Amino acid sequence: MRFQRHFGVCGPTPQGSTARLKGVADRFRSTREVYVSRLQAEHLYKVFGRRPEEAIRRLEGGADREELRADGITAAVIDASFTVEPGQIFVVMGLSGSGKSTLLRMLNGLLGPTSGRVLFDGQDLTALSPAELRAVRSRKISMVFQHFALFPHRSVLENAAYGLEVQGVPRPERERRAAEALALAGLAGWEDSWPDELSGGMQQRVGLARALATDADLLLMDESFSALDPLIRRDMQDQLLQLQKTLKKTIVFITHDLNEAMRLGDRIAVMRDGRIVQLGTAEDILVTPATDYVASFTQDVDRTRVLTAGAIMADVQDARGPGRTAASPEEILAAAPARVTADTPIAELFTPCSTSTAPVAVVDERGELIGVVPGSRLLAVLGEPMTPQPPAAAVPAPSAPRTAPERTAAKAVAGA
Amino acid sequence: MPRIPIGDWVDSAVDWLQLHLAWLFDAVTSVVTGMYDGIDAALSAPEPLLFAGVLAVVAWWLRGLLAGVLAFAGFALIDSVQLWDDAMSTLSLVLVATVVTLAIAIPLGIWASRSRTVSAVTRPVLDFMQTMPAMVYLIPGIIFFGVGVVPGIIATIVFSLPPGVRMTELGIRQVDEELVEAAEAFGTTPRNTLLRVQLPLALPTIMAGVNQVIMLGLSMVVIAGMVGGGGLGGEVYRAIGNVDIGLGFEAGVSIVILAMYLDRMTGELGRQISPLGRRAVAKARALAGGPNLWNHRPQPVVALVGVVVLSLVAGGMGVFGGSKPTGPSGKGEKITIGYIPWDEGIASTFLWKEVLERRGYTVETQQLEAGALYTGLAGGQIDFQTDGWLPLTHAQYWEKYGDDLEDLGSWYGPTSLELSVPSYVKGIDSLDDLKGASDTFKGRIIGIEPSAGMMGLLKDDVLKEYGLEGEYEIVDGSTPGMLAELKRAYQKKEPVLTTLWSPHWAYSTYDLKKLKDPEGAWGEGDGVHTIAREGFTEDQPDIGKWLKDFKMTEKQLTSLEAEIQETGKGREQDAVRTWLKENPQVEKEMAPQ
Repeated sequence: MRFQRHFGVCGPTPQGSTARLKGVADRFRSTREVYVSRLQAEHLYKVFGRRPEEAIRRLEGGADREELRADGITAAVIDASFTVEPGQIFVVMGLSGSGKSTLLRMLNGLLGPTSGRVLFDGQDLTALSPAELRAVRSRKISMVFQHFALFPHRSVLENAAYGLEVQGVPRPERERRAAEALALAGLAGWEDSWPDELSGGMQQRVGLARALATDADLLLMDESFSALDPLIRRDMQDQLLQLQKTLKKTIVFITHDLNEAMRLGDRIAVMRDGRIVQLGTAEDILVTPATDYVASFTQDVDRTRVLTAGAIMADVQDARGPGRTAASPEEILAAAPARVTADTPIAELFTPCSTSTAPVAVVDERGELIGVVPGSRLLAVLGEPMTPQPPAAAVPAPSAPRTAPERTAAKAVAGA
Repeated sequence: MPRIPIGDWVDSAVDWLQLHLAWLFDAVTSVVTGMYDGIDAALSAPEPLLFAGVLAVVAWWLRGLLAGVLAFAGFALIDSVQLWDDAMSTLSLVLVATVVTLAIAIPLGIWASRSRTVSAVTRPVLDFMQTMPAMVYLIPGIIFFGVGVVPGIIATIVFSLPPGVRMTELGIRQVDEELVEAAEAFGTTPRNTLLRVQLPLALPTIMAGVNQVIMLGLSMVVIAGMVGGGGLGGEVYRAIGNVDIGLGFEAGVSIVILAMYLDRMTGELGRQISPLGRRAVAKARALAGGPNLWNHRPQPVVALVGVVVLSLVAGGMGVFGGSKPTGPSGKGEKITIGYIPWDEGIASTFLWKEVLERRGYTVETQQLEAGALYTGLAGGQIDFQTDGWLPLTHAQYWEKYGDDLEDLGSWYGPTSLELSVPSYVKGIDSLDDLKGASDTFKGRIIGIEPSAGMMGLLKDDVLKEYGLEGEYEIVDGSTPGMLAELKRAYQKKEPVLTTLWSPHWAYSTYDLKKLKDPEGAWGEGDGVHTIAREGFTEDQPDIGKWLKDFKMTEKQLTSLEAEIQETGKGREQDAVRTWLKENPQVEKEMAPQ
């Protein structure tokens, strides 16, 4: 859940924020049982066409999208279930036509699901009247669009204030709050400009400010950075992560770009043909892709910068080797060419591994040994192909040391 | 293939509607007439040049100084060709039609943009309205609403509604779906989505639709003129009826000036009132660089003050200086005379108008197409007309409406129908001579409106009687078309064979031969009858008696026609006054006191 800070060319973020983010993450993990889940999707289906109920019965019986398409029925989303914890960035990744945008629009009721429920803050959105649903959208959920969707007949400030205007906030207050949101998005001083005078990146900042101005808890972002050129896109991703540190919104982010998903997502759902085929962290998806399809997606990702020592390390016992019996943690630490923390990207392990046959030691904050990374393991992780069931010797249960409960949940969904 | 009696169904539907929905049509008529009268009174009240000034200031304000100057010059031109009142009537007609059209079209367009069903249902209806020839529904329009401006306005509304609806629907559908979704995503109600997002963004397209509505409305004024709509359309209709190219051009140019003014002003207004349009204008101005004299526009306040001051002055002068001297005191009862713009009709109508006004009646004249005239008479909106060619030429109208009409007898006659050739065509003196001579005339007989009684007579009886069927082709067209062809051929000394009738001014203008009819196939010839609505002689026994006793000699009629021709269009009544001075006994004969 913390690896993304090391991914990409921009280098690690300052240590302070790392520690703080980690703290946030830990807090959420430790309070998991106490928290009401902020956003929950339960068996969501969206079927376009005639007799949707029958279509759903067929889908539940195992029919796939193509069979239905022959009958003129489009199954956009098939049995999608997931939970997004407060403060998480949940990324839905898939190619066009995979149903991810439809899924997003069911989360705020722009599209009603054919079947299934959306629970937000304990409230069943699918059971609300249109007026109640509008009230929820106006106060609790806001949205950022792919092509910005700024109102061309309104100034930047009026655009940012739009959500508040809908809420009926008096003009002076909504303009003040809109100006604050613009400042947060890095657009202070542009209030009186018009959308068509801004560059794409700036326009999307206005879109972001408009979404932030309403103080909604849930932010839906529909391929929000896809229309921007790569450098601007990276800036916007950085800014979103930066904002998220202070704002701690619950964010559902749609993208077709795996790199973006890895960079932003605390958890990632990969969609294909309307179904969620895998649900998990970036590491899960890279290391144990649920299907060939997911695996083929991950081929182009630079694993050495995404995967961390903690994700691939072996148990301490393995380091002793079959012939040796009594290597104590102290001995291992002494022999290791380097000591690294669990969140070190494996790119930094190559040099130490090449200088010694002894494994690299992975230690926790107190300096105690929690695992080892032998050179053979390092190579095995990078080796092709990444099949759903990698050879036992190559990656022997890399997730063994981890206890994250979402792992099992992910597998359950992926296998459904 | 069995004959599907659509026509019969339509006939009975029209009868049914007339019978059962009369209250509705009456209500519509009074509302529309009220709107028209109000606007017309307001527009015609001011001094023409001052009102032209008001319109010019509006143009200056919206588009700049050059536009203001041109607008003033254009309206001054309309005034100088003495078509100002007609132009204001036309402007009123177009404004009323536009207001009603938009009141229907924009809500309908919005509805259609929000519902596929409505859109699917309205589309064929709109196609029907836009392409069905206006004359087809004008006559039912007269049956329902009576002659005058109302059927003209209704026809204009029917014709100009489709672009209003279509452009509104298109404008709203064109709005980027992501923007609509954004509005919804922030919890906007459907109504506010429409008002705050869709309509503002659709406004440029909707205004283009408004512009189209106005332009189509103006293009319909001539048709409206044929059913008594008056105004510039009436002038154009009269001009083409008399092949008066000069008057036609003057009236036509006046329509063009009105059209250009309305087009430019609504176009600019469209830009000014939509936020996007304002942005575009501001950008364009910034690009064009600094201000120049011709583009100079006054501040809105200055323009407003200018318009108000000019309007007050104009209105004041209209009230205090524009009152016309009224005739001698009388009963003041209102009499409406309808007429077809034929020479003897114009002459006798304005003669009666003058005489009746001298007897204290208020007389209104309405120029109409023949079918519209009879429909109006039968409906009771017109009191009488003096140009009924009976029993032959107008036989079809008499057959249809005779039960609701009173024939007050013939005041002139007999008339005759004939085929005529220029006298330079040698060897053709009688219908008998036409046999075998088709090469001379390229096998063509230049006819008039296919609906005219004499055309039926020609096709069914005359050609058969002389064995000319198959040899000659009758070219259907219009009276102006026939006269224009006659004029063209006459000037080039080409042989030409036309349908014509007496009395007709063409016989005094050109040297023509009436082809003899030895077999009497054309029949006895009509008398020119005065025809009144049913009950008129009971309501107005004096006038009824005068009309029954009315007679004119050929000498009187031709001298009056000549006087009118000399005095010029639009001043028929002046010509009648001059003529009455020379023929003082006529007034007493017509209306003995």
